Amino acid sequence: MSQLPLRGWSRLLARRDIGILLLIAVTTAVVGFMDSRFISLDVWLGIFIRSAPTMIVACGVMAVILTGEIDISAGSLMALLAAVMGLLISQSKAALSLWIGIPAVLALGTAIGTGTGLLVSYGRVPSLVATLGLMTALRGLTTIVMGGKNIDGLPPALQDAAKRGWFGVPVSVWVASLVVLMTSLLFYRMPLGRRIYAAGSSPASARAAGLHIQRIQVFTFAWAGFLTAVATLVDVPRLPWIESGIGSDLELLVITCVVVGGVSISGGRGDLSSVLAAVVLMTMIRPVLTFLDVGEMGEKWTRAIQGVFILLAVIADQISIRFLWRKSAKVRR
Amino acid sequence: MTVRVFSSLRRIFPAVIGLLMLAGCQDSGSSSTGSQDAVAGDAESDSESADAPSSRSGKIRICLLPKIKGISYFSSCFNGAREAADELGNVELIYDGPTDGDPRKQAEMIEQWTIEGVDVICVSPNAPDVVANAMKDAREAGIHVITWDADGTPESREFFINQATAQSIGEGMVRAMVSDLGSETEGEVVIISSDATSANQNTWIEAMKPALEKSKLKLATIKYPGENSSNALADAQDVIRKYNQLKGIFGISSVSFPGAAEAVEQSGLNGKVLVTGLSTPNDMKKFVQNGTVKSVILWNTVDLGYLTVYAAESLASGKLKSGAMSLKAGRLGEKQIVGDHVLLGDIIVFTKDNIDHYDF
Repeated sequence: MSQLPLRGWSRLLARRDIGILLLIAVTTAVVGFMDSRFISLDVWLGIFIRSAPTMIVACGVMAVILTGEIDISAGSLMALLAAVMGLLISQSKAALSLWIGIPAVLALGTAIGTGTGLLVSYGRVPSLVATLGLMTALRGLTTIVMGGKNIDGLPPALQDAAKRGWFGVPVSVWVASLVVLMTSLLFYRMPLGRRIYAAGSSPASARAAGLHIQRIQVFTFAWAGFLTAVATLVDVPRLPWIESGIGSDLELLVITCVVVGGVSISGGRGDLSSVLAAVVLMTMIRPVLTFLDVGEMGEKWTRAIQGVFILLAVIADQISIRFLWRKSAKVRR
Repeated sequence: MTVRVFSSLRRIFPAVIGLLMLAGCQDSGSSSTGSQDAVAGDAESDSESADAPSSRSGKIRICLLPKIKGISYFSSCFNGAREAADELGNVELIYDGPTDGDPRKQAEMIEQWTIEGVDVICVSPNAPDVVANAMKDAREAGIHVITWDADGTPESREFFINQATAQSIGEGMVRAMVSDLGSETEGEVVIISSDATSANQNTWIEAMKPALEKSKLKLATIKYPGENSSNALADAQDVIRKYNQLKGIFGISSVSFPGAAEAVEQSGLNGKVLVTGLSTPNDMKKFVQNGTVKSVILWNTVDLGYLTVYAAESLASGKLKSGAMSLKAGRLGEKQIVGDHVLLGDIIVFTKDNIDHYDF
């Protein structure tokens, strides 16, 4: 899209993030018109709190997808990490200090991510198969580790940070902002970021240019594992307790957001801002349906409506591209 | 790009199939070993089938199949089943089920038990249609099949051990909400269910609606967050922000009930918005003790497992035949049978005053 010789407004319109933000704005305006309570600080803080873990994980999974691979184990990994976190620091369990528990969870997430990366890059196992296996195995392991019981009693400090945070904004939102900042620096300001894009867009020429594609892949999987651990630490303490179903469907949600955000599933293309906008769009669907008061039948259609939103985002993008191509053709003539 | 995707798909497809088959095998394999790992974290509970399928000591072999193995609700049912098996003495109890609630794995386990030639199979079907064929095959092989906790298709089983009718559950929840709020309170209530396809929840909702119409409370909406605790919490927070006149939330699944209670607490509305629903008392103790929840509703799950094993034993030994009007069930005494439903009895309402007496 950036190759299009466009100026001013049309150049802005060609960007997918702007398109998604417009869709968010229009939806907000329509719902706000029908129920003004939707446009309140409370509701939107809620949407950002729920977006935070998805954004954090998406920053990692997007890096994996940019290299042309895929990771569908994020949800199960979150469940296992949550269980381990509970066992280590919960007052009814080992009750270790946060200074031990937090680094341990981060290290475990990174280690599992690194292991997956090694399996995919050096072991030459297709990433879909490797992470599919991991998805099942980690979920099973979580059930065993938890022993069929919920884990309660996380340290009050952690629960307080996740539920109330600083200045009324839960810690997950602060951390998500930091992760987004770090990821955009990584993607767009560091050589490694350019290599990630290069490895995905043309592996052959990247290799010819002397890039260690395998190392880059290991890094992206490790990064995804690390960020899943970060998301677990800041988001799970918000829930009533740790149960084995935590993170179910998270992997699908994240991949949906990455794809709706315009990242090419075969690697090499896509930008972070569109993915972040897509996360907000996908997260706001549930509250939108609540505030529209769609009634009992409407509620049963939630999933179908989510699907329509995905299609809308993709179709709108296609239309804007075609429209702008035609316009740019005129400009050239 | 398309070519690349296709060629890589072709490459990995056999591997995916292999992986899925492997997962399937592991599960059907575990079923034949009985309850070796039945309820993790409850070690002594496994002893019952330690001498399991190998020994043909003339004991009646009863298989108890839950929807999901390893969650506290079914673990407590199993405790009652074990108690009944110990009392009866002539029963060998095998407890096993899928860890993820997959009904296809339930069907595989029923098939496995049919091959082993057990005496009675007691099923809590997660999807009646999916397991119906396996249950019919078992019956044709001369094995007694009954359902418990959730009913199957009528021709797939001989009896259904009915813990409480949908009527008594639905009306019981509404009655608890009305009396906790005070019968003169007017306002809105919301139901947070499980999935839109959850059969049990849907029949309870149908029973709740007429009961709510008779009260001064208005049903504002029904939410379906699925079995996802983040979504349940989110939906509860949204309805609190949306409905000004909200007085109460019904959380009618083991995920939506704590989710709704947590949302009320985080909004600082304890006591202003009441939460009621179905759960085991142990899970909800902390919310009852701090006042967010006044009533928790459930049947006695221990007694449900107990009654199921008594019915199974009576069926195998010929004491229970179709058309019977009642069943003797140990410490529970005489239990009524209506049609082919063996009735456990009424629901229990757990409150601050009695919740500590129950441990399941």
